[in-house]
Amino acid sequence: MPELASLTEGLAASTSRRGFLARVSRLLALTAGGGAVAALIKPGEADAFHFCGHIYTTDSCPHPTGLPRIDAHGFPLRAADGAPVDDLGRPVNGQGMPIGPDKQPLLDPDGRPLPPAPRSRVCQEGVAERYHLHTRIDGAWYRCCGGHVRKLVDCCAQTRRRINGDGALTGYCYAGRRVFCVMYYDTKIPC
Amino acid sequence: MLTVALAAVAALAGLTGTWSPCGFSMIETIGGPGRRVGTSCAAFAGGAVAGGVATFGLLAAAGQAVRSAGAGGLLVAAAAIAVVGALGELRGAAISPQIRRQVPEHWRRSLPLPVAAGLYGVLLGLGFTTFVLTFAVWALGAVTFAVGRPEVGVAVGIAFGAARALPVVAIAPLVHRPAGVRMCAALAERPRLLRTMRLADAVALLLAAAALFAAQASGARLAVGSDPSAAGGAVAWTTAAGGFLRREGEPGTTAIPAHAVLGGSLIAWRDGDTVHVANAADLSAVLDVTVPGVDAVAISDEWLVTREPGAAGDELTARLLSAPDDVRAVATAARPAQLGRPGVDGSTVVYHVATPTGSRIVAYNLDAGTSRVLRRSRSALLANPSLLAGRLLYVRQTSLAQLLELGPATPGARNRILYRLAAPAPHDAGHEKGHSSETRTPRPKTAAWTLWTSALSATRAYVTLLPRTRGKLPVIVTVAR
Repeated sequence: MPELASLTEGLAASTSRRGFLARVSRLLALTAGGGAVAALIKPGEADAFHFCGHIYTTDSCPHPTGLPRIDAHGFPLRAADGAPVDDLGRPVNGQGMPIGPDKQPLLDPDGRPLPPAPRSRVCQEGVAERYHLHTRIDGAWYRCCGGHVRKLVDCCAQTRRRINGDGALTGYCYAGRRVFCVMYYDTKIPC
Repeated sequence: MLTVALAAVAALAGLTGTWSPCGFSMIETIGGPGRRVGTSCAAFAGGAVAGGVATFGLLAAAGQAVRSAGAGGLLVAAAAIAVVGALGELRGAAISPQIRRQVPEHWRRSLPLPVAAGLYGVLLGLGFTTFVLTFAVWALGAVTFAVGRPEVGVAVGIAFGAARALPVVAIAPLVHRPAGVRMCAALAERPRLLRTMRLADAVALLLAAAALFAAQASGARLAVGSDPSAAGGAVAWTTAAGGFLRREGEPGTTAIPAHAVLGGSLIAWRDGDTVHVANAADLSAVLDVTVPGVDAVAISDEWLVTREPGAAGDELTARLLSAPDDVRAVATAARPAQLGRPGVDGSTVVYHVATPTGSRIVAYNLDAGTSRVLRRSRSALLANPSLLAGRLLYVRQTSLAQLLELGPATPGARNRILYRLAAPAPHDAGHEKGHSSETRTPRPKTAAWTLWTSALSATRAYVTLLPRTRGKLPVIVTVAR
């Protein structure tokens, strides 16, 4: 039997309305496991998660600008506009050089471009270095958020503890790995 | 200044401890008839100093470790603690929390007196193992931790231990003579003496608080400008209107050429493709060198180091001042990697290498032609190092903070944070609008400035602050080392 989380998340993918997500989750839980299981997923809990599409309490992976938005390769993007950012949170151009609001390189007083800072993949490099874990991205799930399809991405590791400090869940991780923290990737596919 | 102020507080706090049960007991115990008073006094004094050094030295070392881990703003907290302690002393308030313990009485019977006296001295010097007679002891503990400088902690410990021992050592040999009896009686029967000592403690704490505020405020603006360099008790920097030089601790500036840097007894500056080297004292010419495209210079008494653009990217080269035609390659970097502004001390060049996959601070020995990585990070930007007498100053930028760090110029050594700014770029709320704010994602403040080039003198550190918004001018701030 697939995990309860996977089933509820599958249904949740059909809507972007978080209240409806909670109700559907509870209905499925009632069908599948009865009242005790349903009690674990109360209406309102799904509303409580900190970004659209995320239906559990695992916290965000450390990200240079806050919300854990990444690109298709796992590098950090600024959540507000999808701008690529370096590990300091500065928007960068294609060469990794920091740029200003006018998209031009930031300059020092002599007119030289400011130096590039590292730009690390949020899970595979950033989390791995900070928490000394061997991290990888296993599976993912997609939901409709803000009019576009969003990919919910788990950062997986061989760990029993998640970033919150308590027990880690299986989520979309395989081979004994568990979810350490979560990220998302916004596609350009409308929904 | 700060060390002296805190040592003064420690000395007064130690003297005030004479009025404790243990203080009185020590006078009577060591000064007993037929005892080895001289030896015991020496042992007691040695023990007290050792105890003081242990307590306050360890507190300072712990504070240093905490500061190395990123805690900032502790000097203001330390000053506030000193003020609170001073207020308690001014009011003559009962000491709280109080430690109602005494040294083991049976030692005086079971151990040879010099040994017992030495151990008693250690316990009294430790400060927090027996009755505390002044808030200054608590304040000193907190302040030495907050300051986080082991050398200050040791000075405080020595002052505290020595002052704790002084009255005992002075009175014990006389305790059974009329003068000693009168002194003991005065101590025991004139509470005004203790009150006076506590008022003195209060004044000393207030002076220490002022010194702490001054130390904090010393991260203040030096001038509008950028790219500081320091040598021989002077600091130089450049502005759009030219260069300036100031003797440390003295008012007023002297105009010098733009883009000038100090090193050893020399000064060097670039003017187009020409680098001029002169004596710093009188600007008398030493050497002119043509370096096409030069955009950064460092100088020592033996070496001239320059950065210039190469075919693939930045290049660092060095020239012996005694043989300027012998150009030695120090480092190259292919774009978009960058080499930072070099700094040179003697025959060692330091510079940063910044790439999109990591950054590092490198030291290059010009005599041996060898290099080693002093600091490295795959996530932080380590930049703009300066070197002086084996101490490395550099800027560390992460997504959460910007730090000016000082530490030994050895690979992987621990650093002390001298100056801190908030995050280099804005953070979002960490949660989406309309969703829960239940997340541990940090949301640091955003700095208005970016830490940039640094300089290090024997007593101070300097760093350029670049404005994040266009239209503002860069400034240089200075902090005590």
